[in-house]
Amino acid sequence: MALTVQSSAAEHDYRHLVQDDRIHGSLYTDPAVFADEMQRIFTDGWVFVGHQSEIPEIGDWVSRRLGTEPVLMVRNRDGAISVVANRCAHRGTTLCPQNDGNNRNFRCAYHGWTYDLDGTLLGVPGPKGFHKDTADLGLDRPGQVDDYRGFVFANRSGTAGPLSDHLGAGGTDLIDRTSDMSPSGSVRLSAGWIGQRIDSNWKMWPESDHDGYHLNFTHASMARAVPDTYYDEIVMTGEEASESATRAYDGGHLELDFRRSYTAELAWLGTTREKVADYCEALEGSYGAEKAKTIMWDGPPHALVFPNLFLAEMNIARIEPISPGVTVHHHTPLLVEGTDESVNRRLVLQSEAAMGPASFFLTDDAVIAERMHRAFEGAAAGDDGWVDLSRGIEREHIEDGQRWSDITDETTNRGFWHHYRDVMACVVGSRPNSHA
Amino acid sequence: MATVDEPTRRDIEAFVYLEARLADESRYDEWEALVTDDMHYWVPFGPGDYEPGTRVSYINDNRARLGTRIRQLATGVHHAQDPPSSMRRVVSNIEILSAEGDEFEIGSNFVLYEHAVQATGHLRLWAGRATHRLRRTPDGLRMAAKKVELVNSTSPLPNLPFII
Repeated sequence: MALTVQSSAAEHDYRHLVQDDRIHGSLYTDPAVFADEMQRIFTDGWVFVGHQSEIPEIGDWVSRRLGTEPVLMVRNRDGAISVVANRCAHRGTTLCPQNDGNNRNFRCAYHGWTYDLDGTLLGVPGPKGFHKDTADLGLDRPGQVDDYRGFVFANRSGTAGPLSDHLGAGGTDLIDRTSDMSPSGSVRLSAGWIGQRIDSNWKMWPESDHDGYHLNFTHASMARAVPDTYYDEIVMTGEEASESATRAYDGGHLELDFRRSYTAELAWLGTTREKVADYCEALEGSYGAEKAKTIMWDGPPHALVFPNLFLAEMNIARIEPISPGVTVHHHTPLLVEGTDESVNRRLVLQSEAAMGPASFFLTDDAVIAERMHRAFEGAAAGDDGWVDLSRGIEREHIEDGQRWSDITDETTNRGFWHHYRDVMACVVGSRPNSHA
Repeated sequence: MATVDEPTRRDIEAFVYLEARLADESRYDEWEALVTDDMHYWVPFGPGDYEPGTRVSYINDNRARLGTRIRQLATGVHHAQDPPSSMRRVVSNIEILSAEGDEFEIGSNFVLYEHAVQATGHLRLWAGRATHRLRRTPDGLRMAAKKVELVNSTSPLPNLPFII
């Protein structure tokens, strides 16, 4: 029997590991694959960082990671947003070990180097000992930072092209529909983030979060404990009965589209107009009766903006890779502005039920992902250990640049992996085609 | 800090130990029988010094949602607790923080060892402070509120689907 020896120097054949209807399990567990991902997806591509509403005041900052690179998202003196490395340019000490805060400037605890909010080096103790120009010793910064409707993205390499190309028509529409849930047109992420640590590879989360096939089994306990959740009518029906759709957009963006299944307005909020009258009137005041009606019936999207932003209906989630076998799934309720706070209280309660380590849904998804990860820990590229993703491949359709099918079909999963293959094999993206 | 007579103190301590043991052993029905109709079960993010619902918490259950939580655990198909974690907690530093009429507020510290048998087999360590609000009823002491402030609640946590 031949043994395959893998090293980080070996170049993986991603066109073989990601096939049209199956992928190889070593993609979850191989440290060399993880290293390639941190470069090609999380350094060379656009990554979601956070939302402008998280840092409303000058000096506000939150701690984030671009892949495994620690960064701070900061509100500058001029009101603009900076993303800077959370690492002193001198000897590399973490500048801000907390989750969030407000600073006039950033001073390193080790030797006192001090940086302005945008990462410019302001001063060093004992400056006569330095011959270098301090202008060259600011904090590392991503090559590109941009936002769309307050959703801030960064591209470390600076070579990924404009954010609008990354989002494309699909990602733009998904963020529009999310932002339009707020009568002000801008959501507010101010209720805090909760992180769920899962002992699985990060890619199981774009998969699980957009899998319309698992609900009857993975979440059977919720169906039994609460038989009348709105998920019943949108996905827990028979194979042919659901009107919901699964969609894959260009660029690896995905959606479980429940819009055609809702049988009442505000079904996605589990309530009626009378209970949230202020909110409904504010939507009508902002958007007019017709568009407000569409918003109230359709609700928010359930979608992935590749690679790490999960528009989780009335939550926003970030998928954060820690190592090949550890991921943190962060979430915060999506709050709305331009109406009274009662609807936001309802959204916090709904978030606490659905998301996080003590919730009714993601706890079961976490255990399933951990079981999957364990099952592939010994996987080396070979004939065994493939993941079948063929469901619905014969009945999906292409329409307006998007691929869609029955809600239980693996169109979303294939959409994720096929884009992943293009990025990892450098068919798309900023790197030269030498990896292919 | 409040002073109560010795029989009352013994009753209170016995209640806190019983509540812990029933939770450790995933005896959901017996645990649920300890709570009042207005029970609030809260695991805040950070110190529990904010009004629940104004920002997101790990758990913020009123009596109805706590009922759902226990029904889900009892289905037998809640994978996150199938099989239930093997758990033992040590409860200590019990103090009676207040005593007003029939209600008592109790503070205690705990260390909980959890064997997460569902997937990883990891031994997980949970530590924190519990604040119980107990009420004397004709059926004995009952629990009207339990707040659990984990020492590491501001860092990402693994699955917490059991009663802590």
